Amino acid sequence: MMYLYNFIYAFISTIGFAIIFNVPKASLVKSGFGGALGWTVFVLINNHFDTVIVSTFIASLIIAFIGEIFAILDRQPITVYIIPGIVPLVPGFGLYYTMLYILEENYPLAAQYGSESILIAVSISGALTIVLSLNSYRKQRQKKKI
Amino acid sequence: MFNGNKKKILILALYAGEIILKNGGETYRVEDTIIRLCKSRGLSYVESFVTPTGIFVSVDNKSEDENEMISFIKRIKSRKIDLSKVAKVNDFSRRFVESDMSTDEAMKLLKIIDITPPYPSYIKAGFGGLASAFFSLMLGANALEFFSAFITSIFVTYTLKALIDVDFPPFLTHISGGAVAVIMAIIFSSFHPSINMDLIIIGAIMVMVPGVAITNAVRDSIAGDLISGLARAGEALIVATSIAFGVGFVLKIWTFISGGTLI
Repeated sequence: MMYLYNFIYAFISTIGFAIIFNVPKASLVKSGFGGALGWTVFVLINNHFDTVIVSTFIASLIIAFIGEIFAILDRQPITVYIIPGIVPLVPGFGLYYTMLYILEENYPLAAQYGSESILIAVSISGALTIVLSLNSYRKQRQKKKI
Repeated sequence: MFNGNKKKILILALYAGEIILKNGGETYRVEDTIIRLCKSRGLSYVESFVTPTGIFVSVDNKSEDENEMISFIKRIKSRKIDLSKVAKVNDFSRRFVESDMSTDEAMKLLKIIDITPPYPSYIKAGFGGLASAFFSLMLGANALEFFSAFITSIFVTYTLKALIDVDFPPFLTHISGGAVAVIMAIIFSSFHPSINMDLIIIGAIMVMVPGVAITNAVRDSIAGDLISGLARAGEALIVATSIAFGVGFVLKIWTFISGGTLI
């Protein structure tokens, strides 16, 4: 039940971000779906194994993969689906606490939150890199065949 | 075979590339579009080099004439995010390549794409509010925090929009956005003890977080555009720093005034 709620929250939230980035109307629901599924997986893995970084990585893999499928089906640029989808995963939370602890002059905790945020950002980009380069490899192969 | 006016085609391709780059498209997409548009009309040599701050294109066709080679440089000063324009130009270039549309007609189509207004600002603010409010719910906010995040984020979105419209420096725009978020959060948290300002602030700053810059930095680096990749990563870092700066500055002042602690 909790996962269902999370799915709905993330769905609306992702669509909201998509509108801020001016995603075309026809792609709004699809980008929302990708983001919502990604977030639900994030919560699921994080609850069971308690690792933020691994769950972010897997969630981003899923978002990128779904985005890639929608992009191929609709012949739209993939950014339209990925960008709103990953926003919930972006370490705004970690960024905020890093800054808070720097203000409190609690540097050990600041360093802990800071390095966690950087690692989250790295794992998002790592996941995107894997899926996107697989796709560009596939495109290269297709071109060679023709 | 080359037919038509080389200069016109170059200007057309450059314009298409400029729209993509200005609205948050990836570098390789810009280069690709320019090359495809030029080649589709018979120009045999097209080379383009694109960074987030400028476009360089040279075209030539096989001929003996010494004055034939044309180069064009376009400086891009400001960037915003409008993914629907990227999608539209992408669609346009596919249609242009597949048909034999005249360059004048194509230019008209591009101009229409360029001046298409984004979603009206009240819709953007409303959905920005929803996005932040539901994001704070995802992190475990209660109902009161949900509504506070909603209203805070509407204010933040309007502030950002108003500042971007008057061409305020980007760094200061994000600092002001962060500051507005904290001020609103402080006001709300003083209404009721169950309202914790952390989740409101985090929800509101998510609207400004540089997700597009991060994604594009990765995409550009994969495509081998290392300069653009680094430039965009730098952009993301600057935006993140300026948000943190705005939030931190106001929070610190607040602790001096209230005498309390942050955590």
